[in-house]
Amino acid sequence: MPSPRTPARLTTRAFLLAVGLLIVAEGVVRLFFSSSMSGRFDYGYNPTAGFVERADGTVSLERSGGRRFFPQRFPVQPPPTTYRVMVVGDSVPRGSSLESSYARQLGSLFASEGALCEAWNLAVPGYGVRRVQVVLRQALRYHPSLVVLHVNDSNEYEDEREWRRSREFQGWHPRNWLMKSLVFRRLYEARTEKVSWELLPEAVRGRQGVNDADAEIAASMNPARLAEWGDRVRTVTRESVRLCTEAGVPVVLVTQARRTRLADGRLGLDDGGLDAFAQSLTNRTVAWVAMSRVFRDADLATTYADGSHVRPPAHQALARALRDTGLLESRRAARAP
Amino acid sequence: MSFVSWQYPFFLLAVVALYWRLPLRGRWWLLLGASYLFYAAWDVRFVALLLTSTSLDYFCGRAIAGERRPLSHVALLSALPLGWLIVCREVLPHLPVDVAWPDVGGWSLAMAAVLPVAFTLLYAWGWRLAESRRARAFVTLSIASNLAVLGFFKYFNFFAVSLVTLLAGAGITVHWTLPTILLPIAISFYTFQSISYAVDIHRGKAHPARDFVLFAAYLGFFPQLVSGPIERAGRFLPQFETPRVWDPVCLHQGLRLILVGLFKKMVVADNCALVANHVFDPRTPLDGWWAALGVVAFAFQIYGDFSGYTDLARGSARLLGIELSNNFQFPYLARGPSEFWQRWHITLSTWFRDYVYIPLGGNRGGTGRTLLNLWITMVVAGLWHGASWTFVLWGAYHALLLSLYRLATPLARLEASTSRMGRIVAVALMFGLTLGGWAIFRCTSLAQLTHWVAALATWPAAGAISVLRPAGWVLVHVAPLVLWQWATVSRRDEAETDAWPWGARGLAYAVVLLLVASSAANDQEFIYFQF
Repeated sequence: MPSPRTPARLTTRAFLLAVGLLIVAEGVVRLFFSSSMSGRFDYGYNPTAGFVERADGTVSLERSGGRRFFPQRFPVQPPPTTYRVMVVGDSVPRGSSLESSYARQLGSLFASEGALCEAWNLAVPGYGVRRVQVVLRQALRYHPSLVVLHVNDSNEYEDEREWRRSREFQGWHPRNWLMKSLVFRRLYEARTEKVSWELLPEAVRGRQGVNDADAEIAASMNPARLAEWGDRVRTVTRESVRLCTEAGVPVVLVTQARRTRLADGRLGLDDGGLDAFAQSLTNRTVAWVAMSRVFRDADLATTYADGSHVRPPAHQALARALRDTGLLESRRAARAP
Repeated sequence: MSFVSWQYPFFLLAVVALYWRLPLRGRWWLLLGASYLFYAAWDVRFVALLLTSTSLDYFCGRAIAGERRPLSHVALLSALPLGWLIVCREVLPHLPVDVAWPDVGGWSLAMAAVLPVAFTLLYAWGWRLAESRRARAFVTLSIASNLAVLGFFKYFNFFAVSLVTLLAGAGITVHWTLPTILLPIAISFYTFQSISYAVDIHRGKAHPARDFVLFAAYLGFFPQLVSGPIERAGRFLPQFETPRVWDPVCLHQGLRLILVGLFKKMVVADNCALVANHVFDPRTPLDGWWAALGVVAFAFQIYGDFSGYTDLARGSARLLGIELSNNFQFPYLARGPSEFWQRWHITLSTWFRDYVYIPLGGNRGGTGRTLLNLWITMVVAGLWHGASWTFVLWGAYHALLLSLYRLATPLARLEASTSRMGRIVAVALMFGLTLGGWAIFRCTSLAQLTHWVAALATWPAAGAISVLRPAGWVLVHVAPLVLWQWATVSRRDEAETDAWPWGARGLAYAVVLLLVASSAANDQEFIYFQF
């Protein structure tokens, strides 16, 4: 392998060029892409929650972890007479599409009744109460007239896991050093999302991903863990409601009800104790909508797409139930000249 | 410790930094310590086996050369495996570190205790033989002990299960409780290197190491310990014995080899593995399109994986001023099976040529005898890869190809063709035949192989559409490799870039680094570690 052309200096021009190119690439990425990716390895715990203020006075929703918002952009300040509704939560309020989600349906309902209203769907799939609260803290900075807080207790395992990962990434461990570089991170993401997701079927990708479904099931069968998660859901939700109250923003709690098979074989709904908890929080500025009540008489086989998620017509029903709380009406009345 | 683990760069950096500051003997100690640490990172018990081969072959090697050592030395050094196992059992678990130390069973200790007694007796007996028979006896002892270690740890359960199945077929039911035998990583490689050491001393092609630490560092040398290249003492040992002088060229070549190795492993192999693992999962429903794509993906996976490993090994060794043998030379450009084996896993195929095929008679005894030697060699080479009938079949398949290319004149003519079109056809045909071999190699059972072959009977139009995107994935990751090889094919070394202009080299390094970094999360182990 020795070659007469191999130079005998410690560094070579080729090496210096490669290093120089990488430094330039890192600079370019930091200059132009940092806002859209800086929180990637915070796994949803980045304080910005993926809200990025643009120079044109708008806020765009980027990522703050592996999960994403529906792409949306809104002005920092809502127009003076427009009411701003913000829905935060997990995959249930997110819905299968932006248009069919109850956030947008609620906006349409108000609009059909002559109100100037903008409704933003700030729900992110897989988020438990802690990460939902990170989103809520950001949402409250952008002058909502009403916050809809979807309360669910089924994402605590993922919340915990992602918290662990985010701490690990912020730590010293050399395993994470490569991804501290934004150019490497950008390329890694591009490869994953633009190439891998495009070209590899789910069946192929699924084998590669870290599958901790067994660990999740084991955790969800552990009464002590469930009790711990239940306590956390209540504590953090109470704190989220307090944040809204302190910001002077009315809040509607939507409590999740899961579809279950009852002992007699029929389908039923299980609120997991969330209804009673949410009811205990209600007051003049805190209203509550229970999915268990909204869908009490519904055909659960068609209303639900699976154990937790509901189909678009059910989103419409939830939007109507939210409107019927009258919170936004009272807000409008209070602000009327 | 894997080359692609996060620990390895720190480990290598520390070893390289220390190595060049030490005197020659200090370097041997450093390499010995580093190599054993590297090996023990998988399982501390494995070190006892490496010590077994080391102590036995050290004394056998010197005895073959006519150098007698005191029996007390023989007994003491051959008791090192026992000593190490006692340390593993009695000392390591009490260390204040958070490590799950593996259990050392009573059987392991008993076997290690028998070793110094048995070997010392055999050693003493060997020296009582007539001088004309002594060297041969010690060569036999070395080969037998290495094959015994390899046979027990790698093949005992395979042959026992095969025997039970055979007896069941004959209507005889036996109820044996087979022991759980752990297959120590790297065992196939260092036992073969040990055998070649003893045989080469006997043949006068190498001299024995006259220092135990030197020999232990030579046999356990961490860059090539786990998956080769399988080195020969005549070429390799002098590199340890001669003081190497620091030269920045070692740094340039070493880093370049490491970069190319990472590229082959992390960009090509690990990404092709996604498709190959899917196709060769017994639960995956297959049609002809998927079966074909899977085997193409596997062909590039195993090539990228193993040649990437070799480049990483060569690069790591180069940083220490040591040059390892090249193991791969554009194997998929081979025009026939004979050329394929001159380009693929070169140190293994030359090992089998020199220590199995030629001693069997090679091609000196007529066509029939030559073919028989060929078949024996290839079947044994297949079995070397793993204790499974699919590997035996894979060896037989390559023996069949070698036989066909010898017997069928048109094929032989095609392999020797020098015209451009002839070479293209020959390479394409050989690549297709190689794929057939890889399907046998990759299937974990004959039933799975049957499933894969059956899938080739159906080529639905819908399947062609579904396979397009994953085929694109394979292409995206293979294309940079093809491009790289196209640019280096005239150099006979896959990592050689010295002929390129420095600007092109710098750009290529930057792009390769970016590609490696974007694939860094795959974290897959090397395939050849299991052999």
